[in-house]
Parts: sequence; structure tokens; C-alpha cells
Amino acid sequence: MTAVLSAEGLSKTFRTPFSRRQVRALDGLDLQVAAGEVFGLLGPNGAGKTTTVKILLGLTHPTSGRAELFGLPVSDPGSRRRVGYLPEGHRFPGYLTARQTLSVFGRMSGVSDSDLKARIPELLARVRLSDWGDVKVKRFSKGMTQRLGLASALVHRPDLLLLDEPTDGVDPVGRREIRDLLREEAARGTAVLLNSHLLSEIEATCDRVAVLRKGKAVAAGRIADLTAQGFAYRFVGAPMDEALLGLFRESGAAAERVNGHVKLTARDAAHLNALVDAARARGVLVTELTPLRSTLEDVFVDLVRAGETDEAGGTVITPPEEGRPR
Amino acid sequence: MKVLAANVEEVFREAAARWTLVAYAALSTLFIALFAAAVNLDVVDGALAGAKLFGKQLEMGPRSVDLDKLVLGFESGFSGFLYVVATFLAVFATAHLVPRLQEKGTIDLYLSRPVGRVPLLLSRYVGGLLLAGLNVVYLVGAMGLLIWWKTGVVHPRFFLGGAIILFTIATLMAFAFLVGVVTSSTAVSIMATFAVFFLAAILSGHRQIEAALATEWAAALVRGFYWVLPKTGQLAQATVDFVSGGQLSRHKVEIDYLAVFGTTGLFGLVSLALSALFFRRKDF
Ligand SMILES: Nc1ncnc2c1ncn2[C@@H]1O[C@H](COP(=O)(O)OP(=O)(O)OP(=O)(O)O)[C@@H](O)[C@H]1O
Ligand SMILES: [Mg+2]
Repeated sequence: MTAVLSAEGLSKTFRTPFSRRQVRALDGLDLQVAAGEVFGLLGPNGAGKTTTVKILLGLTHPTSGRAELFGLPVSDPGSRRRVGYLPEGHRFPGYLTARQTLSVFGRMSGVSDSDLKARIPELLARVRLSDWGDVKVKRFSKGMTQRLGLASALVHRPDLLLLDEPTDGVDPVGRREIRDLLREEAARGTAVLLNSHLLSEIEATCDRVAVLRKGKAVAAGRIADLTAQGFAYRFVGAPMDEALLGLFRESGAAAERVNGHVKLTARDAAHLNALVDAARARGVLVTELTPLRSTLEDVFVDLVRAGETDEAGGTVITPPEEGRPR
Repeated sequence: MKVLAANVEEVFREAAARWTLVAYAALSTLFIALFAAAVNLDVVDGALAGAKLFGKQLEMGPRSVDLDKLVLGFESGFSGFLYVVATFLAVFATAHLVPRLQEKGTIDLYLSRPVGRVPLLLSRYVGGLLLAGLNVVYLVGAMGLLIWWKTGVVHPRFFLGGAIILFTIATLMAFAFLVGVVTSSTAVSIMATFAVFFLAAILSGHRQIEAALATEWAAALVRGFYWVLPKTGQLAQATVDFVSGGQLSRHKVEIDYLAVFGTTGLFGLVSLALSALFFRRKDF
């Protein structure tokens, strides 16, 4: 697995000129995304998601750390040759039509005029803006602008997509379409890094996620691993009497009746199998045994709440009061 | 090259969409029409039979006026006027280029492309300069052709005077870009550029100002400012002198052309280099 995108120890402290206020937006972030992978970056407002993406594109310079795209340092404009970016709250020049927008930005990514001729109608169809190709962007609704943004990010057939809240303002059907589009892109080998607050969407789209809080990754991994609840299972079978549950508890498992099924928590896989054997030995017909999961939202809220403060934004650093002349 | 073309195209599309192009052409045409109407020459068989300026018959006296000289005088006056008008129009038409580019949500779209920041900024500069250059060509060209048609007299020098005007525009535009990069404000760019234009014009009389100042350091300050800023006063005079071929110059103040063009060009280059440097360093 070769990483298309890799970052190590990224830190960023924003300093406001003429002020002592500093904000640590990123604090030693490591990140790797491989080809064909959809990676989700989650976190509360001001956690540093947009800052991360901007550093990866050379829009913001990191205070320390190293970031590379396709093995090239992000300070090299060439690293962006195969990258498509959809910025948060982007504003295309309102005087261009959708077609002109794709042409101007496509050429800036090095797409030839003849390629563009075929590519633009294809893209407009893909984001369902075929009827709007010759309309000025200033007449577009929010979701339409977002769709155009996605088309513009795809115009040069990039191998890495960096998308900052791609479905912001898009209707439910459009969101589903965008999700499908991202999975298609991933299937043909494109790496995708995605920021979003819509956790159900992340769950449906991403292979791996990282949760940022105050510029640090507080959790990272496959969604299935993050949401798994140890060896907790939903156990359904009959007959399920109190004696059996008592037997489970004696062996050290937790067992409780939850409307119609039993929530069973074992120590490990061997223990779980022993419990099933015991039930089978007593003539229980097992009909269901499924691992219990939290929703990504539960995990997210727990992680964010675990922080010392719920205040939005990065870590505000102000120098100590003492020693400051009055 | 593709990047440059895309940027230049965009600058022109924007100018067209924002009515800048229309206003530019309309104002320029208005100035030409005004001048054409103001000056009314009666040319009979290649000789001047009578001349009217703003509707008043000119006193021709017993000596016959040399038509060629009259046209030259007119062209010199017009280029002096053009020097100011074309420069102002150019600053107004291009000052927004950088602030608009740097807007939140827009700059991301440009910088995420595989284009270096300096080439991006410079291709916008080239786009702006082309826009302003086309206007100078239109103003000078239309006027020159009009004169030719009305009098049959052509002076190539008149057309070339436009080059000095364009040089001044290039310098001031570089400064407007610098202010634009630092402040991201179109209004501040325009104001600062005009401030430099007028301050520098006033400072062309720096010898007199210095003589009137009480302290040596104040005089040194004025002299310093004079040398650093573009020589907008002398360049206006240089434009007129160049077009008239020095034939009409009554105020015989010698211009050190090398110093005037050299220091002005340096001001433009330093402004452009600084704007590129700041633009590269900026966090968006
Ligand atoms: N240009 C800047 N100057 C100063 N501070 C900044 C700048 N950009 C971001 N910040 C600060 O950095 C922190 C992280 O911001 P960032 O935009 O990365 O958050 P985010 O995770 O994308 O949030 P959201 O979910 O609201 O989009 C915030 O505290 C923000 O105020
Ligand atoms: Mg954000």
C-alpha cells in the first residue's frame, strides 16, 4: 500500500499581526491516505480540518512538520498536478459560465483544449448541470455551485481528491449521487480525503477516519473498529430462561435482557464460544448472534466530550499576564 | 503558457462582465470625440485656411501658420492629456485584480492548481497590462487616424508617445498590485496609487521645495522621496517633448532621461518583486 498523501507531525500556529493572540490550529498531526481509499476527517468546528487540507495544498504554510503528495513536497506546485480540490465555501468568479469555469480551471491544471471539449459536457452531465453549462455562475443556487465545484475538482481526472464538506447545501438525492461518485472514483484508484460533519454520510462513504480535536487526532482507524464495542453481542435464541443467563454470569460474562434479545458481553472470542456451547448443550436454538456497534455519532460525541473543554476553535495561546508592562 | 492564456482570458472576461471594458471604451471614445469636436481645422489644398478652437476662430495674423506645426502642437497637448487620463483609467480598471483573486473561497480555487504563486500573480499582471495597453493603443490610434483623415498629416512620434504612457502605467500598476497583495483592498490600492502619482508629480519640483525648507534633514527627506518614487511629473513632460520632438518646449528644463526612466522602472520592478514575495509568503 503506497501512500498518495502523507503528512508527519503537521503543526500550525496562526499569529494575528499586532496581537498577542495565537491559535494552535494543528498540533502534530500524522496522516496517510492510500490510492483507492476514502478517508474521512472529522472533528468539531475549528478542530483544524480545513487547515489540514490547506496545508496539503500549499495554501497555508505549516509551522512545522512535513507533507507530501505523490512523493513531492507540498511546497512544489507540481505536487498538485494530479490533485482535485473542492474548497469550503468556494466562490467561482460569477462572470464565468459553468463551461468557461471548467475551461479556465482545467487549463490551469494543464488539460488541453481538445480534451476539454469532450470532458466538459461529460462532467456537466455527471453532476447534473447539463442544462446550465452556458449560464453565469452568479445565477447558480448554493447546491448547484457545489456541484460545479465538484466538476471543477474532477476536470483533470485527478488521482487524489481533497474535498472540504462536498455535500454542503446539496439536496438528499444529490448527496447520494455525490457519495456514489466518490465510491466510483475510489474504485478506479483515486484516493479521497473528505471533511464532513454528516457522520451518517461518512459512515456510508469512508474506509477509514480520523477524529480531530484541537488539532490533534484523538482517534483514527477503520470505522468498524472504532464503532465496535469490545465483545458485546446481540444474542437471540430459544428457550432463553433465567437459569441460562445465570450460568452466563457465573462464567464472568455480562448478560442482560433487552426487549426480545440478550445483550451478551464476553471477555474474548474463546469465552464467547464457550457461552454458545453452554447454551447449545441446554438445547437452545440459536437464531442470531451479531456484534453490537455504536453509531459513529456516539463515538464522535464521546471523543469530543472527553476533551477538557467544549469550546470551539483551536487552542488559544496567550502569553502569561505577569511580566507584561502595565 | 496555457496558464498565462487562461488568466489573460479571465481578466478580459471579467473586464467585459464588470462593464469595465464598456466604460473604458466609452470614456476613451468620449475623450476622442471631445477633442475632435473642439478642434476644427479648415484645410484647403493641404494648407490651413482657418482654425477654430472650441468654436472660436483663431487669430492667424498675417503670417500663414504651418499646418504641420499646428498639428504637432495639438498632438503634444493631447498626449499630455492622455498621459493623465489613460493612467487613471488603467489604475481604475486593474486595481481589483489582486484583491479579487485573494478573496476567501476564490484564492483556494487558483492556488490548488499546479501553478506557482509567482507565475499566477505575474500572469494577472500581464493580463492587466494588456487591457491597459489596448486602451492606450485605441486612444492614440483613433486620435492619430482622425488627425490624419482631417489634415493629411501623420507623425509616427505621436503613436510612439503611447509607449511612455504605457511605461508609466506598468510602473503604477506594479505598485497597485503590491498594495493589493498586502491589504486585499481595491479602494486602498487605488487611493495609494493616486497618492503616489500626485506626490511624485509635486516632487518633480523638489529643488524648489528643498530650497524653501529650513532644515537639511527635511530637504534630504524630500530628495529621498523624489528619487525613490516614480517620476510622474518628468514622464509627463517627457511624453510631450517626445511627441513634439522638443520643438515646442518653452520651459527649457533639461530632463535626465536615463535617471528618470531608470529610477521609475526600478520602482516598478521593486514593487512587482515585493508583491511576488509577499504573495508567496501569505497564508490563505
Ligand atoms: N487564517 C487564519 N488566521 C487565524 N486563525 C485561523 C486561520 N484559519 C484558521 N484559523 C483558526 O484555526 C482553527 C482551525 O480552523 P479550521 O478552519 O481548520 O477548522 P475546521 O476544523 O475546518 O472547522 P469547521 O468545521 O468549522 O470548518 C480555528 O480556531 C480557526 O480560528
Ligand atoms: Mg472547515
